[in-house]
Amino acid sequence: MKKPKIGLIFNGVWSQYAFAKAPKYRKHYELLYIHELEAQHVNTLEALVIPFQSNQAAIAKRQSLIYDFLAAGKKVFVEGDSSAHWLDATWEDRPVNNYWWVKNPEHPPVSKTDYSHPLFRGLKPRHAFWHYHGVYTRIPQAARAIQVNQEKEVITWETGQYGGTLLVTTLDPIVEHGVQQITHLDHFCDQLTEWLVGIRPRGKFVVKPEDYGVAWA
Amino acid sequence: MSTLNALVFSNGIEGIEQLYRSDPGVQYDFLTLGPDHPHDFTAYDLLIAPNGTDHVALYQMRREIAEFLEEGKTLFCFDGWFTDWVPGNRWVMDNSQKSKEVRYHIKDDPFELRRHFRIEDLNFSHGISGWWACGYIEPGPGAITVLVDTWKRPLLVIDAQSTNGLMVLTASGPLGNSSYATTDDAKAHQAMAGLYQGLIQFVKQMNVLSV
Repeated sequence: MKKPKIGLIFNGVWSQYAFAKAPKYRKHYELLYIHELEAQHVNTLEALVIPFQSNQAAIAKRQSLIYDFLAAGKKVFVEGDSSAHWLDATWEDRPVNNYWWVKNPEHPPVSKTDYSHPLFRGLKPRHAFWHYHGVYTRIPQAARAIQVNQEKEVITWETGQYGGTLLVTTLDPIVEHGVQQITHLDHFCDQLTEWLVGIRPRGKFVVKPEDYGVAWA
Repeated sequence: MSTLNALVFSNGIEGIEQLYRSDPGVQYDFLTLGPDHPHDFTAYDLLIAPNGTDHVALYQMRREIAEFLEEGKTLFCFDGWFTDWVPGNRWVMDNSQKSKEVRYHIKDDPFELRRHFRIEDLNFSHGISGWWACGYIEPGPGAITVLVDTWKRPLLVIDAQSTNGLMVLTASGPLGNSSYATTDDAKAHQAMAGLYQGLIQFVKQMNVLSV
């Protein structure tokens, strides 16, 4: 069996684990426990994913590993909150509106998405946005906004200034897909996987009970 | 017992301190989990694993947690523990049922927790059902199942049998004084916070009885 090409940096959160253990995704994503992460663990990988509910302080301690990875021309995808000390950007908290589709379905909080970007190309609006966790009020000078909210605050941005591609969003596709309460996130996560490593996962998101209640080496 | 001394496991996630705020009844400390785990829980009556806990770290700490429980103390786990660190009980993720079909029901309530919250308010956040818990619990023998879902699967379990202590476990249903990002629906929030306060009062009563 081939090794996964995407490293999912994880801090023991169950939804991150659930995503990476789903048979559909497990062949593409390798869990990398943040507190044991070293450069040698990412050398053979093509992309890194840093999910929502990450330990930002622990990631900041490995900042050089991430930027070295980018300098090698590879891709890094960052999602969710990022009150980080390791991004040249300013994240601010906002209330999470995860019920707009019930209260005001014609007016989603996101107002504009660049559907020419390969991550979003071909996605329907309801597949490109569900809710966000905060906004960026400042992004790096060389970065471009891909998705903004009604207040023109940045939800998703991208830059190539570090060598590879750094794409940052306050959406939370990995964690939310692991939670499995939103049932249409295959569209986004499959597109994300294809954008990261050129392979589109197939099939349904299946949970295997034997993956729960496990020992950890 | 006038004040419970509680230790909350922190995973470095934004906003965790907002969920548990000290008051005359409970003094909260936070332990940020990391590569080194100095674990001296002797000063505490209660350990709390909140939503977003590091279950790799807690698996590595499972013996210390078991010893803590054997001293007759209390563990709250309000998260999906995919590793086997909770003595006698197992949480299983499941996506076989649709959220819109999920309803929560009170099953056994010998401690009258229903006095502290309205189950109908816990059921919906902004009209959306199935928002609070994920998966289900396989309880240890003799554990009390307080809440179940539509399919009678345990969601809130109180286990005073598997160890010498007390465990209050939810199927990843968040509980605390406040909600950071899970819900801002006033009724749902009140149900969540009310149930949490009921559990705190229950633990304090149990501690008084055991002194």
